[in-house]
Amino acid sequence: MRVLESLVLPPRQFRIVKYLGEVREGADVSEVSNSLGFKESDLMRDLAELESKRLIRLEKTLRYLVKTSELGLKYLELGLPEERVLRYLIANNGRARLEELASAGLNEDELRASLGRLRRYGLIKLESGLVFLAEGALSDFLGEVGRVKEILRNHVKPVSYDNLPDWVADLKRRGFVDVDDVKIIKVYPTQDLLKLLSEGRVVEGVLITNLTSEALVTGTWKKAIFKEFDVGVEVPARTPRLRHPYTLFMKYVKEILVEMGFEEVRGPYVESCLWNFDALFVPQYHPSRKETDVYYVDNARAEVKEVDVLERTKKVHTEVWKYCWREDVARMTVLRTHTTPVSLRTIYERGAGEYRVFSFDRVFRPDTPDPTHLMEFHQLEGIIVGRRVTFRELLGFFKELAKRLGMEEVRFKPAYFPFTEPSVEGFVKHPKLGWIEVFPGGMFRPEVLASVALPTDYKVAAWGIGIDRLAMIVLGFDDIRNLYSCDLDVIESTKIPGVILKNA
Amino acid sequence: MPKVEVKLWDVERVAETPLSLEELARILETLKCDLEEVRGDTIVYEASHDRPDMFSAEGLGRSVGVYKGSRKPIKYVVEDSPTYLDVSEAPEYRPYAFLAIVENLELDEEAVRQIFQLQEKLHATYCGDRELVSIGLYDLDKVKPPIKYVEVENASYRPLGYENVMSLDEILRTTEKGLKYAHLVRHRRYPLLIDSEGQVLSFPPILNAEDNKVTEETRRAVIDVTGTEPYLMMKMLNVITTSVSERSRNPVIRKVSIKGSSPFPYSPVLEETVVEVGRGHVTSLLGIDPIQVKGPRLLESMGYWIQSLSEDRVVVKVPPYRVDVLSYVDVIEDLAISYGYNELGGEISNPPHFGRINPLERFSEYLREIMLGLGLQEVLNFMLTDPEILALTSEEGFVRVRNPKMKTYSAVRNSLLPTILTSVKTNSSKRRRLEIFEIGDVVRLEENTLPKYAKKLAYGLAGDGYTLTDGLVVLKSLMKTIGASYELRKTSRKLLIEGRAAEILVNGESVGVVGEVSPEVLINLSIYIPTTVAEVDIVKLFSKLST
Repeated sequence: MRVLESLVLPPRQFRIVKYLGEVREGADVSEVSNSLGFKESDLMRDLAELESKRLIRLEKTLRYLVKTSELGLKYLELGLPEERVLRYLIANNGRARLEELASAGLNEDELRASLGRLRRYGLIKLESGLVFLAEGALSDFLGEVGRVKEILRNHVKPVSYDNLPDWVADLKRRGFVDVDDVKIIKVYPTQDLLKLLSEGRVVEGVLITNLTSEALVTGTWKKAIFKEFDVGVEVPARTPRLRHPYTLFMKYVKEILVEMGFEEVRGPYVESCLWNFDALFVPQYHPSRKETDVYYVDNARAEVKEVDVLERTKKVHTEVWKYCWREDVARMTVLRTHTTPVSLRTIYERGAGEYRVFSFDRVFRPDTPDPTHLMEFHQLEGIIVGRRVTFRELLGFFKELAKRLGMEEVRFKPAYFPFTEPSVEGFVKHPKLGWIEVFPGGMFRPEVLASVALPTDYKVAAWGIGIDRLAMIVLGFDDIRNLYSCDLDVIESTKIPGVILKNA
Repeated sequence: MPKVEVKLWDVERVAETPLSLEELARILETLKCDLEEVRGDTIVYEASHDRPDMFSAEGLGRSVGVYKGSRKPIKYVVEDSPTYLDVSEAPEYRPYAFLAIVENLELDEEAVRQIFQLQEKLHATYCGDRELVSIGLYDLDKVKPPIKYVEVENASYRPLGYENVMSLDEILRTTEKGLKYAHLVRHRRYPLLIDSEGQVLSFPPILNAEDNKVTEETRRAVIDVTGTEPYLMMKMLNVITTSVSERSRNPVIRKVSIKGSSPFPYSPVLEETVVEVGRGHVTSLLGIDPIQVKGPRLLESMGYWIQSLSEDRVVVKVPPYRVDVLSYVDVIEDLAISYGYNELGGEISNPPHFGRINPLERFSEYLREIMLGLGLQEVLNFMLTDPEILALTSEEGFVRVRNPKMKTYSAVRNSLLPTILTSVKTNSSKRRRLEIFEIGDVVRLEENTLPKYAKKLAYGLAGDGYTLTDGLVVLKSLMKTIGASYELRKTSRKLLIEGRAAEILVNGESVGVVGEVSPEVLINLSIYIPTTVAEVDIVKLFSKLST
């Protein structure tokens, strides 16, 4: 780290360069290590770093260590084998049998090599299993033995050579010496370093693991050397406190609708049949009103204040469906089975005008929870009210909504809902699931609008999406119950999908 | 939505044209039917509830033929018949009955199968599982008109599909249909259809007779509907009569007059309804006038007769089997379908005003962020919950469902504290410390008015070491962040430990409660870690803030 033109080095590197500055002409690593009292292995990383900073130059050379082997040490003590054979012959009147010699403490190889060597000097003759002493070059032989033993004595401690002496090959073959290759690293200070040293610009730094506020305030950070991190080491993950995935999804969808000019409205969960069914032109005998499909509430009464709606609804049902419409049935209390009553109540309250509203809320239908069914789920419901609102505009709305939800292709099919005509079901193309049914809607029937007395020149495009299905697809759930989970394992393992992150 | 099974060759026979599967699938879409499965020559599709005329091959073949142009829309002519139906002794509780006669029938096994499929699908849907309407068909050559619809104490006959003669009581007691539909008749006041010689045609809405049933040999059929809703009954009679008449090259439909009190003097009433559609209405509803683009053939292909067509209106006659057509909008829908929904185009116009999130919802979003910032994890629960848990944790009333499928989900929560405790329970076996919150709606039971919903924020701190202090710390941090000053007042709740609970007051009004959950409640809920909870009414808090 270069700070204020000074070179801050960790303590050990600082001492190395200082030492090199003193010796100037370079030194072996072993010298450096001996002089500074660091282990050679510890120095190597520092030397590599210093070299990468171009403060030192490393010169690597190969050297040889020659050392008397275990065998060599033994012969130094007992004498060389050929010396010992000669001694035996002299002591035994100049002759001996081969077997005798073998029993004199030499193995077969040693004996054969010794005899070969003695014969080369002409000191023995072999005749019918007997070895005879002969007149040969005895003084040459002794001179040679002395020279070998001298070498062995000199190499009891290893001796290093830049180049191997001639005798090494023979003694190594005979197993008297061991030879090791050693890489010798010589360290030289660069001119840069010598310059920096001479200018006093090399500073000893402090190695730290964590920056402290004290270091910042006192300025010791200027001499700080940060311990390098190994980024490959696994670190533990933190579990963030997160929104529930479903409320995140809701926020994302609501924002899309607000961008499209919709106002959010809300309405009661506990609703009268009048608003949930009758005013929506669902005849009282319609199967969707059966106990198997609707949660009826006994211990709360639906106070129906909107007598005008009641009267108009009665008229519509009696005239169009032609049956005996019952007010007590219309006054029955249910948990709303859809959010369409919220839309209808809004039309009743706001009346004629140009407006767009939506609600994203819970509805209830009797069911037993399993991965694909729930007795309570969300509906995304909305209306577009106005004089020039048309069925084409509704289709256009679906296309725009699909696009904003990240789905490009939309296809429409005729559908049936009791309170809309024309009715439509919009399908979007999902890359994996293919065409999925997501957008039911239509134009509110004139009979429905008559119930809430909307002037007949106003039209209402209405839609009500079973949004949980889309939520499952977006959040990657295959169990619908996960959308309503309080299980932290489920919540924490939910991945927030890119479509939300991109659009939200 | 009823699933209907037909044979391709049979549909071709009725439609009077060969059909490829692709072609049929495309036409099915215009009839609001979804092709579900093809097995050899068998085709299964799902029909829409509003098109009962699609519940069998007859109606489907008829509409397909008209759509393709191989057939013309039909004008039904109803002939007189010498006979009548006597309803003067009909049961009071099921007072209506109508008949229709269809002659010159040419039936085979598939035709008989289709007619009974239609009867069964109508029963299951429009007829309210026979409660509103019950339909029967008989071989007219095996009965002796006039036919009487009467109430009897008892009678005997051989029911359809049985070998032996049985009494009506026995039928109710022992047959499958008897057991299933016994609740629709009153004891010893049984409805019965009999001929002039006293032969039983049917014990409606339970079982028809074996001896005069419709078979492949039947040439003349008599069809009955009995029930409680006369207009619906007439619609059903029209659907089945026109369908049965498809099984003849020269069908003769005869009406039967009714003796006794009846909203209709005779049946069937197969008159076409005349609907006038203003072309201005078409454009203002659809955003396009398909007639202008593609011509009136669009309406004819959907089975309408065009009575007159001018610049400003089109008058059509609606065939009597189209019971779904109630007004001009239904005709306009057919026009749009015939034109093709995917051909209509359409863009959304610019919004007339700015969009807006409900202010309370936006405030809730802000609270959500604060709670997350305080390090609590958001959870979600159902609003439907176990009434026992509500009773255990709340002193106030709550909405109960009369017809739950499971007791666990038979009451509507009136507080979030029970669901916070449910969440603690769900997680307590896996985690030793929990800090969670929920923002959601509750429903309060109120006298003489629709129960009101309220929005609440609740949190729970569960684990060894948590006390009321921790609950108060979260509360203080929350209130400080939103700039609300509050006071605490000692309170006593059966949910909370006495002396370790406080009411939260803003401007003197109670907006919530905070406290340590009592060990009795914890044990009762199988929660074995100490839990501190709090609940704040967001609506009240919001109103305090904005004033």
